[in-house]
Amino acid sequence: MNACPLFLAPLNFIDSLLVKLGLAPETINYVVWPLIQIGVVVTVVAVWVAYGTYLERKISAFMQARLGPMRVGPWGLLQPIADGLKLLTKEDFIPEKADRWIFFFAPYIAVAAAFIVFSVIPFGPDWAVITDVNIGLLLVISVSSVGVLALILAGWSSNSKYSLLGGLRSSAQMVSYEVSMGLALIGGLMFARTLSLSGIVTGQASDSIWYVLYQPAGFLIFLISGIAENNRAPFDLPEAESELVAGFHTEYSGFRWSLFFMAEYAAMVVVSAIATTLYLGGWYFPFVYKLEAAGLHNAYVIVSALVFLIKLSVVLYLYFWLRWTLPRFRYDQLMDIGWKWLIPAALINIVFTAFSVFVVQALDAGQVLKTIEDTSHGLNLTGAGKIVMIVMGIVGLLLTGGLLSLVNWRSRDFNLKSQRRNIRLVSVPSGVSAVNSTKPATAPNEV
Amino acid sequence: MPLVKVPQPTFVQKLKRFFMMDLVRGLGLTLKYNVGAAFDKDSVAGKGIYTEQYPKERPDVAPRFHGAPRLNMDPETHETLCIACNLCALACPEDCIDVLAMDVEVVVAGKPRRKKVLDEFIFDTSRCMFCALCQEACPTSCLELTQDFELATYSRAGFVWNREMLEQGRETVKYTK
Repeated sequence: MNACPLFLAPLNFIDSLLVKLGLAPETINYVVWPLIQIGVVVTVVAVWVAYGTYLERKISAFMQARLGPMRVGPWGLLQPIADGLKLLTKEDFIPEKADRWIFFFAPYIAVAAAFIVFSVIPFGPDWAVITDVNIGLLLVISVSSVGVLALILAGWSSNSKYSLLGGLRSSAQMVSYEVSMGLALIGGLMFARTLSLSGIVTGQASDSIWYVLYQPAGFLIFLISGIAENNRAPFDLPEAESELVAGFHTEYSGFRWSLFFMAEYAAMVVVSAIATTLYLGGWYFPFVYKLEAAGLHNAYVIVSALVFLIKLSVVLYLYFWLRWTLPRFRYDQLMDIGWKWLIPAALINIVFTAFSVFVVQALDAGQVLKTIEDTSHGLNLTGAGKIVMIVMGIVGLLLTGGLLSLVNWRSRDFNLKSQRRNIRLVSVPSGVSAVNSTKPATAPNEV
Repeated sequence: MPLVKVPQPTFVQKLKRFFMMDLVRGLGLTLKYNVGAAFDKDSVAGKGIYTEQYPKERPDVAPRFHGAPRLNMDPETHETLCIACNLCALACPEDCIDVLAMDVEVVVAGKPRRKKVLDEFIFDTSRCMFCALCQEACPTSCLELTQDFELATYSRAGFVWNREMLEQGRETVKYTK
């Protein structure tokens, strides 16, 4: 490590300093370094939350040919700090009829659920991940779903009709979208063959492919469910401003309100990070290995983390992009998308992925085509195998879409369309033919 | 059979619906706006960002805009161009102009004469409707409605401009970018 420049090797310096201070190597490895990592991650996420609001306002402004915040600091760059100060100095108001303790603690649950997940997300190789547990993905799914509890508790404890409606909607929405989100991940896991998030990234790195190519349907389902899970527009029914004032956080103000805000933006990062890790190759980038080979270990980690952040910001931009393009769904449409489209699509995706893995293995076993290289890090395919898998993925996407649109084609006819199509004209004299029929039609509900 | 014919979608329309072309087009539009605004390029109709940062950036008012009144002075002698003829006050439909003249003794060609000169000029901008008939009536191009539009004051009395304000203009805070 002597060859590398000083600014790329600060960590070894800290290590030797800690040893000189008389700390045992175990203490350094299992107490000091994790604390440093946690501090860095929490700081970065908090800064992101602050500047995420700034970015959101800027991007929304740009999409509407406006400028966005411009007055505080150059290009309004100090606006988040001004906002934060404003929120901290505002009155922390608790309604008289509210359930005080639950009202008090609900925002903390939301923030904790969003922040705990960051402990397993691999921002990069080696020291850029706090802990690499082998059930990482499971932990992410389970902990982030606790966030629903916070919204329900907030909506209930506020003792206000708007809050309650918001909490009600959020519970229904998040419960139904969690199913499709979890099911969508399974397709990707069939290739990775591990739940450890770092393992998933190494699986993609050793195969030098992104799983989004194998799993276009799974990626789309995951992304849509993730946006719905985060209560972001166009799925922001729990806080629908135009209907419910502010939904579950109507009665919240000041610091507690900003905690909900923080949880929302942190949860956005979590979902984007999972999408990046599982589908977009995580921190893996084709040529970063050369840095490791050249002996610049820390530079390798830092560049990998940067690659991860760039991929992450692309997914986050998608969040903003969709929010400022699409209007909010109606409630029945939301449930339609969840139950009639995404969950069946995720189930079909699982079956079809299993089928295509089987096809690839059968091709290899039947000596038709050499498709499998080895299975040490997930399922490593040869070039031909990759092409087969990508084609199968696209076919699966189109097949799923076609099948579901066939199934769902007339699924609304029970209520709306039949009523629209059987409009009885008022005051049609008997004997006179109507528009294009000789005998007057009878609406089905009259029979 | 339904009484009202509902048009069935054609195959192309169904195909567009299946691939969600409307959604893609919407996303493309917002992306176009976003990129155009980020580089302030010709993305929509002329410019990327339409925002005018008003106090820092002066708006371009229309050429025919009528704003705050002004009494012009001779650029060389710095004496008022007003000859106190009272035509502006007569032209004004709102009666918001008062021209107060006084007689002064002057010597013209060795003989003492009396001359009517302007003493005080009262212009009530709260009643003015900026029709600029006074400007058209003025024979010496003295009274003019400028393009200045910041006329708000803290009191009703502040709307009544005297000769000094009309000649010097009102002081407003100037912001810079």
